[in-house]
Amino acid sequence: MQNPSAKTHLYRMGALFIVFIVAFLAIKEWATPSSWNYEVWYRGAALIEDANKPMLYGGNDSCKTCHEEVVKETKKLKHKKLSCEGCHGPLGTHVRGEEKIADAEVINQSRWQCLNCHAELISKPPDFPQFTDEVDKHTTIEEGEGCLKCHDAHDPTP
Amino acid sequence: MKKINSNSSILDSKSRRVFLKQIVSGGATALMIYTSGVRGGHETSRIWKQRSTEHHWAYIIDVGKCIGWGGCVRACQKENNVPEGNFRTWVERYVVTEDGVYVDSPKGGAQGFEPVNAGLKEKAKRAYFVPKMCNHCENPPCVQVCPVGATYKSPEGFVMVDHDYCLGCAYCVQACPYAARFINHEINKSDKCTWCHHRVKQGKLPACVEACPTRARKFGDLKDPESEVSQILQEGVWTVLQPAMHTGPSCFYIGLPKEVI
Amino acid sequence: MHDLPNNALVNFIFPNNEEVWWSLMIVIYPYLTGLIAGAFVVSALYHVLNLKQFKPIANFALVAAFCFGLFAAMPLLVHLGQPQRAYEIYFTPHLTSAMSIFGYIYSGYLVLLMLEIWLIYRKHFIYKANNTTGIQQRIWYLLTLGVTTYHPDSAPLDRKLTRILAGIGIPWAILLHGYVGFVFGSVKAISWWATALQPIIFLASAVVSGIAILILMYTFIHWRHRVSPDYAMIKKLATILWAAFLFDWGLEMLELVHVWYQDAHEWSVIQPLILGPLYDSYVWGQIIWLSVVPVFLLGYAVLYAGNGKSMFFIVNVGSFLLLSQVLFMRFNVVIGGQLISKSARGFVDFHWDIFGKEGLLTATILFAAPFITYYVISRFIPIFEFDKADRDHS
Repeated sequence: MQNPSAKTHLYRMGALFIVFIVAFLAIKEWATPSSWNYEVWYRGAALIEDANKPMLYGGNDSCKTCHEEVVKETKKLKHKKLSCEGCHGPLGTHVRGEEKIADAEVINQSRWQCLNCHAELISKPPDFPQFTDEVDKHTTIEEGEGCLKCHDAHDPTP
Repeated sequence: MKKINSNSSILDSKSRRVFLKQIVSGGATALMIYTSGVRGGHETSRIWKQRSTEHHWAYIIDVGKCIGWGGCVRACQKENNVPEGNFRTWVERYVVTEDGVYVDSPKGGAQGFEPVNAGLKEKAKRAYFVPKMCNHCENPPCVQVCPVGATYKSPEGFVMVDHDYCLGCAYCVQACPYAARFINHEINKSDKCTWCHHRVKQGKLPACVEACPTRARKFGDLKDPESEVSQILQEGVWTVLQPAMHTGPSCFYIGLPKEVI
Repeated sequence: MHDLPNNALVNFIFPNNEEVWWSLMIVIYPYLTGLIAGAFVVSALYHVLNLKQFKPIANFALVAAFCFGLFAAMPLLVHLGQPQRAYEIYFTPHLTSAMSIFGYIYSGYLVLLMLEIWLIYRKHFIYKANNTTGIQQRIWYLLTLGVTTYHPDSAPLDRKLTRILAGIGIPWAILLHGYVGFVFGSVKAISWWATALQPIIFLASAVVSGIAILILMYTFIHWRHRVSPDYAMIKKLATILWAAFLFDWGLEMLELVHVWYQDAHEWSVIQPLILGPLYDSYVWGQIIWLSVVPVFLLGYAVLYAGNGKSMFFIVNVGSFLLLSQVLFMRFNVVIGGQLISKSARGFVDFHWDIFGKEGLLTATILFAAPFITYYVISRFIPIFEFDKADRDHS
């Protein structure tokens, strides 16, 4: 460089800065998601994307669509308030679209399936049906047999 | 001797200045108080800015009804692909004795609970289960601390995480007083209960509410005066977790005993 | 077995509390930024306050600050679950979060450091651009921005600008490290973190760690080059170090006394924490061995140990202890705070990793990197009087 002034290097540094800042602002503009909500500060599209996610559980009403009779019957029984899917598994593993893809039978038929709710625990509400001794008093069931040998899962009253 | 002028009128220049000063400072104070949101005794929020006029969701937990089944935890895990060891919702068991409080939550209560030992059972004065999850606070500290805006409060009240934007820095996890948030170790991003936003927007209930056999978990719209949640809250006998944190939770507890933190 | 807080009969932690999310990387990060801030303050002693006795180490401190600065963001990037999204902090910083300002404050600070170094070493760059060949020459040429003659009138201009930058650099360094303290201090959910004093404590300990590391580096470099150290200057620096630490430690103890005195909810979880999981590293480590001992050591060194070798030796021992104190403090604050479960009825276990992203090996590599970089830089630019980096003797 011929005869730079005392400030040439500063001018050049300044120019470099300006170039960088302009480039940065341009990239920022391009890279910031277009649905960005500047008041609340989030990517607006995210909320909509989440709202459209597929559901796995259908709720008891969804069972009615195909199993109206069974649902109507169980509505009269002891366990009417329970979620069908709590024992039978979620709708999503049983049906896809309108097609059945797998059975919805209760896989776990052991005692645990019933005792999970009904085993006596001190922390359970006192007015909730809980069993301890009575289960053991059932001398007619053998090792490995469950409560379902004698009790109906939908209406377990003895 | 100086005469005391008992007839100084408001038009007197000095007292006019004083008067004007009082008006301005009083007005400024009123403006500050108004904009800071202290009005009508409501908890207000710096975070919840855009509020829907259609829905205002709330969750109610009736402690006395929970039987510690754990099906709610399992339903949530399946509905939301929650990995092992992470919990969007969980159930805690309390056994209160003279000597202290026993609390446990094995696997978040997902497989139910084994009986406590006989010694503890004997000493028990009170015992109960407490379901917990993200409280979808009105003033969520997690949203406040997110450095990039990956977590936010939606207009209808859901506190959500944008998994396409989250850095996984875990600041929100630190900030939550309820340990409701975690880093999902399968996707390395922050995650938490969303009140099954995707289900609610499609007209259904959150998976945990759907699963609950004893109606210990309830969910509804406070904008609907006929809804169960509105009616329960009207009675005014509810509390929230860690009220001193001033987060303004939207999960309301009925019958929450004093030792629950 | 230690006492459990809030009447707990068994150790109960919330199910999501099993893991310590902010681990060694988040211990190393404030440690590195602290070193930047501290080293910069030392360089400002000459560049801003014009204290002539610190001129010989002013550039050394600046270059050291720069080396620490180059790697300060690394622990954060390693820690992030999604480091490839780190750029988001530049595009959508959420200003309600103290952490959101990191991107701009840190990058801006690095730019400031680079500018200052550039202005100071410009003459050397020009000399090298005119006296080398090949690729080396190209690089030196770039560094001069194409200005290969040194105009004498630019010297006072550069000097003035350097002073301005150093002046701006002090509050900027305060912000760069102070915000970290605020990131912790503003988290109401974690009792061990939440105090208004946190930013000042972090800052004060940053200055302490910066001065201490510079003393140790200075000693090592002079020993390696077999050059006699400037004892008088080191003694003055040690006095500043001692005063800074008394202030820092005073604040740390004040915080503890305050939370003990108030005996509120915070104390119910902090007392079992410091008498339990944190007893060794906090009470014995941080306070007794690494605070009380160096206070006496350094006090003795600057008041009674004369002006020679023994003073120099004790100052170095004291500096090493204080450097460790600050590391322990970062560990005890960051990890310690997370050991208290939010259930307030139990404590979380912390597991040391050797490998893995939060492992000791990673931490060691990241901590060593600035020193290696300093060594490389010192081969190219003259930092001390005796540096052989082909200086311009004109």
